[in-house]
Amino acid sequence: MNYLIGAFKPPCNISISFVDGRTRKQVPLKKENGQSMMVPLFQSQENIVGEVVIEPIQGKKVEHNGVKIELLGQIELYFDRGNFYDFTSLVRELDVPGELYERKTYPFEFSTVEMPYESYNGVNVRLRYILKVTISRNYVGNIVEYQDFVVRNYTPLPSINNSIKMEVGIEDCLHIEFEYGKSKYHLKDVIIGKIYFLLVRIKIKNMELEIRRRESTGSGPNTYVETETLAKFELMDGAPVRGESIPIRLFLSPYELTPTYRNINNKFSVKYYLNLVLVDEEDRRYFKQQEITVYRLLETS
Amino acid sequence: MMSEVAQDEEKWLGAGIAGLQQNAFYMHRALDSNNLRDALKYSAQMLSELRTSRLSPHKYYELYMRAFDELRKLEMFFKEETRRGCSIVDLYELVQHAGNILPRLYLLCTVGSVYIKSKEAPAKDVLKDLVEMCRGIQHPVRGLFLRSYLSQVSRDKLPDIGSEYEGDADTVVDAVEFVLQNFTEMNKLWVRMQHQGPAREKEKREKERSELRDLVGKNLHVLSQIEGVDLEMYKETVLPRVLEQVVNCKDELAQYYLMDCIIQVFPDEYHLQTLETLLGAYPQLQPSVDVKTVLSQLMERLSNYAASSAEALPEFLQVEAFAKLNNAIGKVIEAQVDMPVAGAVTLYSSLLTFTLHVHPDRLDYVDQVLGACVKKLSGKGKLEDSRATKQIVALLSAPLEKYNDIMTALKLSNYPRVMEYLDNGTNKVMAVVIIQSIMKNNTCVSTADKVEALFELIKGLIKDLDGTFDDELDEEDFKEEQNSVARLIQMLYSDDPEEMFKIICTVRKHILTGGPKRLPFTAPPLVFSALKLVRRLQGQDENVVGEEALATPKKIFQFLNQIIEALSTVPTPELALRLYLQCAEAANDSDLEPVAYEFFTQAYILYEEEISDSKAQVTAIHLIIGTLQRMHVFGVENRDTLTHKATGYSAKLLKKPDQCRAVYACSHLFWVDDQDSVKDGERVLLCLKRALRIANAAQQMTNATRGGSGSVTLFVEILNKYLYFFEKGNPQVNIAAIQGLIELITTEMQSDTSTQDPAADAFFASTLRYIQFQKQKGGVIGEKYEPIKV
Amino acid sequence: MVLVLALGDLHIPHRAPDLPAKFKSMLVPGKIQHIICTGNLCIKEVHDYLKSLCPDMHVTRGEYDEDARYPETKTFTIGQFKLGVCHGHQVIPWGDLDSLAMLQRQLDVDILVTGHTHQFKAYKHEGGVVINPGSATGAYSSITYDVNPSFVLMDIDGLRVVVYVYELIDGEVKVDKIDFKKTATTHSAH
Repeated sequence: MNYLIGAFKPPCNISISFVDGRTRKQVPLKKENGQSMMVPLFQSQENIVGEVVIEPIQGKKVEHNGVKIELLGQIELYFDRGNFYDFTSLVRELDVPGELYERKTYPFEFSTVEMPYESYNGVNVRLRYILKVTISRNYVGNIVEYQDFVVRNYTPLPSINNSIKMEVGIEDCLHIEFEYGKSKYHLKDVIIGKIYFLLVRIKIKNMELEIRRRESTGSGPNTYVETETLAKFELMDGAPVRGESIPIRLFLSPYELTPTYRNINNKFSVKYYLNLVLVDEEDRRYFKQQEITVYRLLETS
Repeated sequence: MMSEVAQDEEKWLGAGIAGLQQNAFYMHRALDSNNLRDALKYSAQMLSELRTSRLSPHKYYELYMRAFDELRKLEMFFKEETRRGCSIVDLYELVQHAGNILPRLYLLCTVGSVYIKSKEAPAKDVLKDLVEMCRGIQHPVRGLFLRSYLSQVSRDKLPDIGSEYEGDADTVVDAVEFVLQNFTEMNKLWVRMQHQGPAREKEKREKERSELRDLVGKNLHVLSQIEGVDLEMYKETVLPRVLEQVVNCKDELAQYYLMDCIIQVFPDEYHLQTLETLLGAYPQLQPSVDVKTVLSQLMERLSNYAASSAEALPEFLQVEAFAKLNNAIGKVIEAQVDMPVAGAVTLYSSLLTFTLHVHPDRLDYVDQVLGACVKKLSGKGKLEDSRATKQIVALLSAPLEKYNDIMTALKLSNYPRVMEYLDNGTNKVMAVVIIQSIMKNNTCVSTADKVEALFELIKGLIKDLDGTFDDELDEEDFKEEQNSVARLIQMLYSDDPEEMFKIICTVRKHILTGGPKRLPFTAPPLVFSALKLVRRLQGQDENVVGEEALATPKKIFQFLNQIIEALSTVPTPELALRLYLQCAEAANDSDLEPVAYEFFTQAYILYEEEISDSKAQVTAIHLIIGTLQRMHVFGVENRDTLTHKATGYSAKLLKKPDQCRAVYACSHLFWVDDQDSVKDGERVLLCLKRALRIANAAQQMTNATRGGSGSVTLFVEILNKYLYFFEKGNPQVNIAAIQGLIELITTEMQSDTSTQDPAADAFFASTLRYIQFQKQKGGVIGEKYEPIKV
Repeated sequence: MVLVLALGDLHIPHRAPDLPAKFKSMLVPGKIQHIICTGNLCIKEVHDYLKSLCPDMHVTRGEYDEDARYPETKTFTIGQFKLGVCHGHQVIPWGDLDSLAMLQRQLDVDILVTGHTHQFKAYKHEGGVVINPGSATGAYSSITYDVNPSFVLMDIDGLRVVVYVYELIDGEVKVDKIDFKKTATTHSAH
C-alpha cells in the first residue's frame, strides 16, 4: 500500500509476490474500507518465500539508504487506534544503501515462521500479518509497500472431547436436561444433542439455540466485551410435555465462525457460547448459556 | 352469516395463501433457472406461512394442501438436481441450515423422499431420521400436519417385502417401526389438543380434534397395507404397540376412534386370532368411552365375517370366540357401573346377532346370552327407558328372524324371562312381533305344550297384565292386536285330534282370562277351530277313537257351548247367535239331535231376549231360517217346535216388508228338496198366503200414510216364490193362484194411483220373461207353464 | 277389456289367518279395474288391503262383517253389463240357484255375484249369469266341506265376458275359464 507524503508521487513501484503465488490458496480479506481482496493463506511454521520487485518510474533515479522487508504480526485495538502491537517482527535486509535506476528484483525468504495466532478481524480488535518493504531515504520519507496475508492454523481432532450434559431449571416451573455431544467443535462441525424435559409447568411457545461470540479486548479498566449473536436456530415449535426429548442438529458451516481465541498475546479473546433459549407464551425468555470450544480442523484427506 | 372469529380466520387464511403463492412464484422462477439457493430460500419462506397459529384445523388444511402441491414441484426439482450432479447427501444437509424448524422439516422430508428414491442410503435409515427429527414440532396442529406429510411422502417408499426399497432381512420390522412411531407421536399430539385452551372452549376443541382424527387413523391404515405385516407380526408387534398407545393416552375421543379404527382397518381374521388381546384392552379404557358401541361394531364385523365365509366358521370355534366375547362384555358391564340399561342390552343384542350367525345351532349359547341379559336386568323391575325397551325388542326379534320358527325361540328358557322386564306396552309390541313371525313363516304350532308356552309369551295381548286396564290404548290399535291374536289361533294345529283338542282347551283357558273386551275377537276363531276338529272326527270311526278319548264331537260341543256362553258376559248376542247356529249345523252333520236342538234353543233365547234392533233382527231371522231349513237331524216334534217359533218371529218383525219376506222365506222350512219327509205343500201355501196378506197390509199402510199405493215389489217377490214351488211340484200351488197374482200385479201397476217404481217394473217384466222362457222350454216344464198367460 | 276381480268369504281372522301366499303374489295393484266383494271380509284390514289393489270396490254385507254399513245388495254397470252383488245369506234356501235367479231378476242384472256357500259356481240361466267366487281363503263353511281357496277374474269385453276361476288345489293354482255372451238387451234400461 502506498501512502502519500504531501503531494508527491512515489518515485518507484514496489511489488511483492510470492513464489507459490499461483498455487497457494487465496482467501478474501476485508479491508478497512469495506472492500475485500484475495490474499494468500499461510499456516504457522510455513516458509514465506517470494520476491520484491522495485521499479523506478521512467527516468527517475532513487537514492536510498537500504531496502528491507519485514514480516509483521500485529494486533490493533480499536480503542487505541494507530497503536499496533507487533507480536512478531522479522526482517530481511534486501539491499545496501545505493541507487536504483532500473528494475531490481530481490528474492526473500522467511523460513519456518512462527505465526501462532490466526488473522482476525473483529469488532474491537484486529490481528493481521503483513509483509512490509521499506526503502529508507534521508531527508525525504521512506517508501513503503505492504502486502497482507492471512494466517490460519489447524489443529487435529481433539483426543478428548467430552460431551456437555447438564440439568438446569427453575424450581417448580421448568426442569430440563440438555446434552451437547461434544464440547469442542470444528468450523464445519455439527452440534448433535438433545433437550429432555423433566418438568414443564410453564406454557412454552418455542425453543431455540443461539451461537454467540464474545470478543473481549483490553484488560483491567479498559476491558471491552462485545457479544454478537451469530446464529438463531429454532429447535422446537410448540409446547412439550414432561418426558419429551427434542433432538438438536445444528450445522456450523453456514455461520461465520472463527476458532476460539484465548488470551491472544494477552490482548484479546474470542469465545463461543451456545445459548439455549426457551420462550413462553408471555414472551418471557429462559436461557442457559454454555461455552464451547471452536477449532479449525486439520483435514486428513 | 359468519361470526367475527370466522371472518378473521378467512382473512388470515387469505393472507396466508397470498404469502404462500407469492413465495411460490419466486420459487418457481428459481426452479426454472436452476438456482438451488434461491429455490431453498423462497421455499423456506413459503413454508413459513404454515407456522401460523391463527387458523382452525379446517382452514389450516387448505393452506397445507397448497403447500403440499408446491412441494411436489420442489421434489421434482431436487430429483433433477441430483441427476445434474448435486449430491443428495449435501442437499440433505443444506436444507437443515434453515433457521425456522417447520420449513426446515418440511424441506427435510421432501429431500428425504428423494434420498430414499436414490437408494444411496437404506430407506430405514432415512425414515428413522425423519421421524425422529419431526419431534421438534410439539405444536399439535402443526405437528399433525407435518407428520401427515411425512406419512404421505414415505407411503410408497417403505422397506416392505417385495418393495424396491426392501433392505436386508427384517426391514419390514423397520417399516413397521417407522409407522408405529409416527402414529404414536401423532396420537400424543392429537390428545394434547384436548387440554389446550380454556375449559369453556372444550366443545370447540373436540370438534377440531374430530376434524383431525383421520390424520392419526391413517397410520393404522398404512400399517394394514404393509405386505410384510402378516398375522404373526400383527399379533406380536403391531397390535400390542397400538393398544399400548391407545390405553396409555387415557383420552376418551382417541380411544373411541382408534379402537373403532383398528377394527375397521385390519382383517377380520386377525381380529379373531387376537381376540383376547383386543378384548383385554376394553376394560382398560376410560370409563366415559362408549365401549359398547365399539364392541358392538366388532361383533357386527365378526358376524358378517361368519356370514360371508363358511370356511371361517371353524376358526371361531377354535379361538373360542363366543366365550371370549361373552366374558369381555361381562367385564365391561361390570367396569362401567353407570352404563345405562339400554347400553348393556345393545351389547347383548350384538352378541346375540353374532351367536346367531356363528353358532346358530348352539341354542345353549343363545340362551346363555339371554340369561346374561336377564341377570343384568334383574332387580330393575319393569323398564321405563324407551331406548332400552327398543333394544330388548331388537334382542328378542333376532332369534325369531334367524330361525324363522317360533318353536326354536320357545326352547330358549330365558326368552320369556327377558320379556318379563318389558313394560306392558312393549310387551305387547313384542307379542305382535312374535305373532308376525309365525304368520310370515307359516309356522304351525302343533302341541298343547308349545301353545301353552306361546300364549305365556304373548300374554300381554291375551289379558290385562298387572290387573290394570290400559286406558290409553287406541281403539284401532286394540282391534289390530286382537285380530292378530285371532289370526294366530288359526295357526295352531295338530294332526292328532286328541292333541288338537288339548290345544283348543289350552287356548280357551287363556282367552277366558282376556275379559269381555277381548272375547269377541278371540272366541270366534277358537269356535271355528273346534268346529273344524268336529268335522275331522266325523270322518273317523267312533270305535277307533277309543273310550278314554277326550276328543269326541260331544265333548267338543260341550266345549263350544261354554265358549259361546262366555260371550254373553260381553255381551255380543248377535255374534253368539251366529256361532250357536254354526254349532247347530255342525251338530246336525254329526247326527247329534239333542245337541243341535240345544244350540237352536240358545239361539232363540238370544233372539228373543237380546236382539232388539230391527235390522239385526231381520238378519238374525234369515240366519235362523236358513240354518233350520238345512237341518235334517230333527225329528218331527223338534222340527215343528222350532219352525213354529221361527215363523212366529218372522211375523212379528217390525216393518211389514221385512215381515213379508221373512214369512215367505219360512215357506222353505216346509219344503226341503232332498228330504221327502219335509215336503208339506199345504204349509208352504199357508206361508205364501200369509205373506200375501202382509203385503196387502203393507200396501194399505202406504196408501194411508203417504197417499197413493206403494210398490208392488213384494207381490212380485211372492209371485216368484209361487213359481218356485209350482216348479218344484207343490200341488197346492196351482195355475189359478199364479194367474191371479199376475193379474193383481198388472192391475196395480197400471192403476193411476200407483207410484212409479221402475225397479218393480223391471222385476215384473223379467219375471214374465222367465215364465215365457219356461213355456218355450218345452218338455215337462213347458207343459207345466203352458197354461199361464202373460 | 275390463278386468273385474270377484272374491269373498275370506273370514279373516275368524276362520282364516290370511289370503294364501300364492294368491297374494298374483294380486298386484294396478292390474284390475274393479273389485267385487261378496262380503264376510271381515275386518277393516282386509278392506284396506283390497282397496289398495283397486280403489273401485263394491262390497256387500256378510253376516260376520265388522263394518255394518256395507249395503245388503249393490248394482252397477260395467261396459255393456249390469252387475249385481249380494252376500247370499239373505237368499233362502242358501245356495239354491232358482232362488238366486229370482234375486237376479229382482235386481235386473246380467251378472249376479254372490257368496256365502264358499263354493265356486258359475251358472247360466235365461236371465243371466250367477257367479259365486267361493272363499278366497278356503275358510270353513257349514254348508260346504273341503273348501279350496278360490277367486274369480272377469274379463268384460263388449258383449262377452270371460270368467276365469283360480283355485288353489294341493298347493297349486289351477285356472279354468268359462265364456258367456250376452244378447243385446230388449227390455227398458234404467
